[in-house]
Amino acid sequence: MNTTMHRHTHRQMIATISLPALAATLGSLIALAQTPPASTPTAAPRVGGGIGYESHYPQIASGSWTGKRLADGQPDVSGDWSNTIANHNNFTDPQGGIPGDPQARGRTLGPREERAPSRVTDPADGELPYQDWARAKQKEFAVGFFAGGKPEWIEPLARCAPAGIPKSFYWHGYEIRQYPGKILFLFNSGWRLIYLDSKEHHLPQNLKLWQGDSRGHWEGNTLVVDVSNLNGKARLGRTGDFTSENVHVEERYIFSPDNKRYNYVATFTDPTVFTRPFTVTIPARRWSVADKSNGWHYEVPLANNPGGKEPIGDHFERICVENNGGFGQLAVSTNKPN
Amino acid sequence: MTTRRGIQGFRQGIGALMAACVLLGPGLALGQSAGGGKIPRQANGKPDLSGIWQTTSAADFDLEAHIGRKDAPPGLGVVEGGSIPYTPAALAKKQKNFENRETADPRLKCWTLGTPRGIYYPEPFEILQRPQDVTVVFEFGDTVRTIHTDGTLHPVDTDHEFWLGDSRGHWEGDTLVVDVRDFNDQTWLSRAGDWHDEALHIVERWKLIDANTIDYQATIEDPNVYSKPWNIEVFLYRHREKDFQLIENYCYTLDYDQYYPYPKS
Repeated sequence: MNTTMHRHTHRQMIATISLPALAATLGSLIALAQTPPASTPTAAPRVGGGIGYESHYPQIASGSWTGKRLADGQPDVSGDWSNTIANHNNFTDPQGGIPGDPQARGRTLGPREERAPSRVTDPADGELPYQDWARAKQKEFAVGFFAGGKPEWIEPLARCAPAGIPKSFYWHGYEIRQYPGKILFLFNSGWRLIYLDSKEHHLPQNLKLWQGDSRGHWEGNTLVVDVSNLNGKARLGRTGDFTSENVHVEERYIFSPDNKRYNYVATFTDPTVFTRPFTVTIPARRWSVADKSNGWHYEVPLANNPGGKEPIGDHFERICVENNGGFGQLAVSTNKPN
Repeated sequence: MTTRRGIQGFRQGIGALMAACVLLGPGLALGQSAGGGKIPRQANGKPDLSGIWQTTSAADFDLEAHIGRKDAPPGLGVVEGGSIPYTPAALAKKQKNFENRETADPRLKCWTLGTPRGIYYPEPFEILQRPQDVTVVFEFGDTVRTIHTDGTLHPVDTDHEFWLGDSRGHWEGDTLVVDVRDFNDQTWLSRAGDWHDEALHIVERWKLIDANTIDYQATIEDPNVYSKPWNIEVFLYRHREKDFQLIENYCYTLDYDQYYPYPKS
């Protein structure tokens, strides 16, 4: 296996992230923000490095869509997107690092309010409303993430499993491709095809899947998706947060009028693990060839397009070398459990 | 390349045309193909390859003609001229692969099948098409391949060693011609142990011969492994069952599937 292959691996993507490039985009991000609440500064401190460069993000209201549409009438939201606040290190304190990280090297965190809010926007305390047994299990997973020793303590994404829902939205940048009646999400680890209107019924309920089965429709600027058939195997972060095979998700992707941002707002219902439904909010912004390619948000180099033509972003295959070389904490070197 | 198989398939396709016209969605435009049958077209007039496709051939079991084996149904073979022109040393490696196929075939680990194997692997794949690209989503392993049809060229850097190769396509009449190169050496071409190395270069030709049949041809060359380029041809049939869709199959997760969301006590 040639080492050049590894340029596409997750670990190198993390290692090669271009912080100056991200810093350069911060100014334009400020301009992109949609009428944030007056008390919310958009010039956020760069907490969490290049992956998470916003500690606050604007709300986007559902409403009509006045932007560009595709031939079948869908709002045209195709292109490259990435979350703005953090990766999956920590679900409820996104810029708070991984609890118990032995590689923290003495870094100290400032006050909680300086960091991005919890992805859990309901309940108001930002905590996942676990049942007691499930909270104990989450804590076990969180400790085991570094301690090791049991196969279930290995985060499945580290074995190249698909990132699932919702983690796919904060695990590297991703691309949206649209077709008549369908929307395809191409994530760094896995993909989703959302069927619009054409299929009313979900797959048989005994089919449990990493990415679930998605049926959606547009309501103005909002893509509404019902996700069933999830197997609950994908963790929500490196903090051990999890759902079960009985989770059901109602997603709303609310796009800004200028088509440069959207907020993912999803309600998770899982009576096996939680005491009540909860809502997750993940802000995202668009990336384009005007941005410099980098190893996290926008892994899109310029295509070989000579002759003075318009620049086009190139999208290479995304294969977790090769579903065989796990990465990250306690990763395995084969696809066999250890 | 017109083969007896191809002609038979063509006749069957014509026979299915009436039903296809009824079943195709209202948004799908039908246009005249060079062969005389109606084929779906996109708004820009290019043939519309969108849909879910699958071979009925035994190509994945063995590209060459073979009798039935315990692990393979018989097949007439899909190689033009009958056999793959391996160099003597490469043939010895193929034979060793064949002997070890029950454990050595990368498909057993659910690794990316590669190009062209994913196309004739006996599991459906979906084509999603826009003017600028043709996206091929494989059920097996949930691999995604993009064929760029935006006029861009292969990357200047040629050492990416992709699992699927780098695919740049263009239309020649109603045929999508795709140049694929920059591979790694980790994939097999069949479960009979057919192999290649990083010098693999493929030129594919995708052509709808009726609304529900793609004639898929590929020229395969690798000077390190074969004495000359060789050609294959398989037909791909559209899945028309009601509500048919791909079912996620991240089969490489199955070895550790049991540990998540949490071990059942």
